[in-house]
Amino acid sequence: MVTPFEQLLLAIMIFVIMLGMGASLTPRDFALALRRPYGLAIGFFSQYGFMPMIGVLLVTLLEPPAPIAIGTLIMACMPGGTTSNMFTYFSKGNLALSVLMTVNATALGIVVIPTLLIFYANTLELQIPTRNIIATLILLLVPVALGMFLRRTNANIGAVTEFFGAALGVFFIVFLIVTWVPRNWIFLMTTAPSTYSIAICLGLVGIIIGYLFAKLLRLHPHDARTIALETGIQNGPLALAIILFSFPASESPPITIIPALYSLFIVLISTAVTLLFRRANTARE
Amino acid sequence: MTNTAPSSLSQLVRSAANEFSATPAFTVCLPNGMNGTLTFEMVDELSDAFAIYLREVLALEPGDRVAVQVPNSLSFPVAAFGIFKAQCILVNVNPLYTSSEMALQFEDATPSALVIADVFADKLPEAMRNHNIPNVIVTQVSEFIPYLPQKIIRLVQKYWDRSVRPVPFPHIKLIDALEAARQSNQRSQSIVDGFDKATNADATACLQYTGGTTGIPKGAMLTHNNLLANVEQTLKAIPSMAEQHQTILTALPLYHIFAFTVNLLCFFRLGAQNILIPNPRPLINLKRSFENYPITWMSGVNTLFNGLTRELWFQDSPPKNLRFSTAGGMAMQTAVAERWQQVTQSPLLEGYGLTETSPVLAFNPLDQNRIGSVGVPLSSTEITCIDDDGKLLPIGATGEVAVKGPQIMKGYWQNPDETEASFQDGWFKTGDIGRLDQDGYLHIIDRKKDVIIVSGFNVYPTEIENCLATLKGVAEAAVVGVRDSNANEVVTAFVVLQDKTLSEASLLEYCQKHLTNYKIPKKIIFRDELPKSPVGKILRKDLHLILTSPSEPSV
Repeated sequence: MVTPFEQLLLAIMIFVIMLGMGASLTPRDFALALRRPYGLAIGFFSQYGFMPMIGVLLVTLLEPPAPIAIGTLIMACMPGGTTSNMFTYFSKGNLALSVLMTVNATALGIVVIPTLLIFYANTLELQIPTRNIIATLILLLVPVALGMFLRRTNANIGAVTEFFGAALGVFFIVFLIVTWVPRNWIFLMTTAPSTYSIAICLGLVGIIIGYLFAKLLRLHPHDARTIALETGIQNGPLALAIILFSFPASESPPITIIPALYSLFIVLISTAVTLLFRRANTARE
Repeated sequence: MTNTAPSSLSQLVRSAANEFSATPAFTVCLPNGMNGTLTFEMVDELSDAFAIYLREVLALEPGDRVAVQVPNSLSFPVAAFGIFKAQCILVNVNPLYTSSEMALQFEDATPSALVIADVFADKLPEAMRNHNIPNVIVTQVSEFIPYLPQKIIRLVQKYWDRSVRPVPFPHIKLIDALEAARQSNQRSQSIVDGFDKATNADATACLQYTGGTTGIPKGAMLTHNNLLANVEQTLKAIPSMAEQHQTILTALPLYHIFAFTVNLLCFFRLGAQNILIPNPRPLINLKRSFENYPITWMSGVNTLFNGLTRELWFQDSPPKNLRFSTAGGMAMQTAVAERWQQVTQSPLLEGYGLTETSPVLAFNPLDQNRIGSVGVPLSSTEITCIDDDGKLLPIGATGEVAVKGPQIMKGYWQNPDETEASFQDGWFKTGDIGRLDQDGYLHIIDRKKDVIIVSGFNVYPTEIENCLATLKGVAEAAVVGVRDSNANEVVTAFVVLQDKTLSEASLLEYCQKHLTNYKIPKKIIFRDELPKSPVGKILRKDLHLILTSPSEPSV
C-alpha cells in the first residue's frame, strides 16, 4: 500500500508539517491551553470526546477487520490540523477560535492521545503498540520544538517555515490523490464498503455532532460552524506518521487505509460543508 | 534623544539617524509574522535618495505637492521623510478612499507626484479624471522585506487574495526611483542638506485633509513649525516616554494626523522601534505583533481598544511590557477605557486634538490620568470655551472649544472663506462642545453639529452612547438625531449587540435608570455593525444615510 520511498517522503513531509506547526506556536500557547477552561472544554469534548466515540461506534456497528479498526481508532483520536483552519478561513468562520482549538488539542495531545488509545483499544480488545505510539508522539515533538525555536530566533524564518508547513499540508492531499490513488486503484475497488463507510462517516458525523454540540451550548452560529469543522477535520498526516513509526512495517499498510481514505474524503466533505456554511455566513451579512 | 529641538522636519530625521544609527526604526509586521526592518540610518539614506529623486530626477520645486497613498509599511516613512527633505508638501491620502473621493482630493491639492501602493492602483484612471498626476511611483506593502518572505507575500497577494492587479498606468517602481536617484548623484546627503538650508520653517510641510466625517474635504496647511512644535509639546506632556527604549505599535493608519505626528514623528525622534501594521482588521492580524515584539506603548481609537479587549487571545495574554496607551481621534467611552486598563493593567491616557492642530491640544498626564477627560492643555497651548456669539466663557461653563498655540494650522489650502470662518480674534474654533473644570482638565462633550435639540434641551449623543455602552451585552452604540415629519429631532440609537437576547425594552429600561427622560432614545435600531471610517471612527453621517436609504434591508 505504502512503499518505502513513500514512507520516506511521508516522513519528510510530516517533519516539515510539524516544523510548521511548531513555528506557529509560542511556549505561552501551552500555558494558555491550560488556563482557558471554556475554550479548552469545547475543543476537548468535541475533538477528544465525540470523535473517538464516533470511531468506536462505527467499529462496533460495522465490525471491520482488526487493522481497519485500529486505523479508525487512531484516526478518531487525532487533534485537528492546519487543514481545519484553512477550511474555517474559506467558510468565513471564526479563524481565531479554530486556531485556538487546534493549538489546544495538539498541545494536550501528547498526554491525551495515548490515554485514549489505551482505553479504547482495551475496550475493543485491540492490540496496539502503546509504547511505540508514545515514543512517536515524543519524537514528533522534536520538529515542533525546533519550529518554536526557529520562530523565536527569527520571526521571518518562523513565518516562512509555517507557510511551507501549511502548504505541504495541502500538498499532502494532492500527493495522495495523484500518486497513491492510481497505484492502489485495484485495491481501492476491492475495499469493503464498510471501510468506505467508516472513512466517510467519521468526518461527516463528526461535523454534524460538533455542530449540534455547539448549538446546544447556544454558541453564535458563526462559532458553531467553526466548531463543526474543527471537530470533523482531523490531522490526517499525524495519524499516518504515528502508524508508520509505531507499527512494524509488515503490519502498518492495512492500518493506513483508513487515514488515507479519510484524508481524501474529508477534503470533499469539508469543501461541500464549506460551500454550505459560506452561503449561510454570506446570507447573514 | 538629543535635547535641542530640530529646526526642520528634515533635520529631525537627520539628527535621529545620527543618534540611533544602526538600531531598528521601523518594522512592518504582517498577520503571519513575516516582517521587514529599516534602521534609522537606512531610513535616512533611503529618504535622502527619494528627496533627490523628486528634486533632481523629476525636477520638482519646493512647495510642489506630493501625494502619498500607502498603508502602514516601510515605504511610508521613506516617502514622507523624502518629501520633507525635498521641501515639497506631503499630501496624505486615505488609502481606502474610493476613486471619486481621491479625484476630489487630487483636484484640490493638484499634486505633481503620487506614491501609491499597488493594491490601490486600479482606482487611478478614474481618480485622475480631473487632475492628471504626471509622476506615479508605485510601491508595495512588502517593500524592503527580505527576499523569501517578500516573494511569499507577493505570491499570496497575487493568487490567494487577488489583491494585486496590474497597474493600469505608466509608472515607476519605488525601488527603481531610489536607484535612479543614487545613479544621478552620489553625494546625496550634502545635496539634501542644501535643500534644507533653503527651508522656511513657516512653509507648509503637509496638506492634511479633513472633513471625512462632515462633508467636503478641506486641506489643512500644517507647517514645519506646526508639526515640530507639536512633537516637542507632546514629548513634554509625557516625559516618561523618553525614559526607556520604546517598542511601539502603529495599528492606526499613518496618513491619519494623530498617528503621523505622535507615532511617526515623536517616536522617531525618541529612537523607538515602530511596529507598523498594514491592516489591523480583522483584529487577529495584530496577534503576531503582540507575540513577537515587546510592545511598550500603543495608540488607538475607542473602536480599536473596544475590539481588542473583546478578543479572546488578547484577554488571555495582554501585552506584558505595555506601560501605557494613548487614545485620540474620537471620544473614548468610559466603559471601554476602564475595561482596557483592567485587561492590560496599564493606564489609557486620552488626548484631544484635530487635524487642523497638528493634532495634539490636550493630554492626560501619566500620573494624574482622569478617565472621562481629555486632559490638560499642552505647553504653549491656550484653551477656552466660547458661546455662540464668540464671547469667552468663564471656567466651568459649557461652550465651543477655541484654541491658540504654535501647532494651529496656517489655514485651509486655497480656501480663504473656510479659513476665515474657523478663526475668530486669533482663536481657532474647533467645532467641539466642551467644558474646562476647576483643575484645568478639558471635557469634550460632543461635536457641535451632532448636538440634538429635544424640546429646547441640548442632548449630547456621546452621553447616551456612553450610557448604552456600559450595559453588559452591548458591543457598540451610536446615537443621532433624526428629524421626524414635524421637523423635530428624535433621539435614535443604533446598537450592536454582543448578547443577542437583549431586547429593546431592556435597553430602554436601562436608559430610564441612568438618563433624564428627554435623553432616552425614542427609537432603537439593532444592527450587525456600524459604519466606520478607516480609522475606526463611527460615522454618524452614514447612520443618517442608512435611515433615509430605502434599499436598506430591515434588521
